[in-house]
Amino acid sequence: MPGEWPSDWLRATLGLLALRALEAGPSYGYAIIAELERNGLGVIKGGTLYPLLTRYEAAGLVATEWRPGDAGPGRKYFALTDRGRTELQRSRTDWTRFTWATTSYLDADRPNKENLA
Amino acid sequence: MKTSTPDKKWFDDLIVELRLRQVNGPAIGDTVASARELLADTGQDAQDAFGPARDYAASLELPRDDRGLWRGAALWSSLAGLIVFLTFTQALVPWARGEPLLFSPAQLALLGVTVLLIALLPLYLTAAIRHPWLLGLLFAIGGAAGFLSSVVAPETVDEAWLVLAAAPWLAGSAAAMVLVSLGNTIRVLRRGSVDDITDPLQAPASRRKRSGLVLALVTAWLFPLFAGLMFALVTVFLR
Repeated sequence: MPGEWPSDWLRATLGLLALRALEAGPSYGYAIIAELERNGLGVIKGGTLYPLLTRYEAAGLVATEWRPGDAGPGRKYFALTDRGRTELQRSRTDWTRFTWATTSYLDADRPNKENLA
Repeated sequence: MKTSTPDKKWFDDLIVELRLRQVNGPAIGDTVASARELLADTGQDAQDAFGPARDYAASLELPRDDRGLWRGAALWSSLAGLIVFLTFTQALVPWARGEPLLFSPAQLALLGVTVLLIALLPLYLTAAIRHPWLLGLLFAIGGAAGFLSSVVAPETVDEAWLVLAAAPWLAGSAAAMVLVSLGNTIRVLRRGSVDDITDPLQAPASRRKRSGLVLALVTAWLFPLFAGLMFALVTVFLR
């Protein structure tokens, strides 16, 4: 079921994923949503993404800038600040350790209590 | 982008909810513009993309504006203006006829209902703004109380429970009305453009439209304007 993850999982990881989506450079709402979808993470709604980005802006993790659109409305670009980049790096390291521990524990071949006894 | 009717309703609701949260105008403009940007990109309905406007406004957790309460000062001065205006209208006709202001207990009780509805407005304002029918109901109750109070008004001094000279009440309420409006004018000029919902792409210097300021100032002087009009009509036809 690519792109259809339990909502709890997405809720827990969306912050980290949004910061990752901005790592390559400033981006805007729809481009961030499209980037996450393209990478198999499902379709994130604006009602979920924007409050998160607004909180990150208030926390100083992202900075925003309005740029005029080519034909349509202007675009609000979000960019990682130095603090946001540090937070991304810290979260990435923690997440990697967590998923390694989780994956290791979930491994079907791993001996469990009964096997050890 | 042209806003469809359901989206227009959603954006109207969003603005009301953000106003109720005392978010300032530029922050509301930014929120509205970024929501419109996403809808233009995705082609979605606002409700589908963002959920209920009330929940979305709450989820943004935008800071309250400390430069004055949107509801606070504006609301209390409007209530004061309304009560003073009602006093003026009660005193106007008796003054024009050279008669005193006469009150019966029933009339005072009915006028008290109107004053109570106005005085308690801060308690139910949020609900009234979210549900226009409630506002309509309150207007109907206030209007009915006002009409009934005129029905039970005493016609002679002997019938009256309370007799007051009309001229001091008329002059006092007119002066109070002007003072309230002066206060509102100072508040409007001091607050400047903090309540204006502005396009985030516009330069700050060009944000405030002159028409917006004029409208705010006319609103501040609405009660004295109406009172002046009524005074002119009564003077022409009754004196």
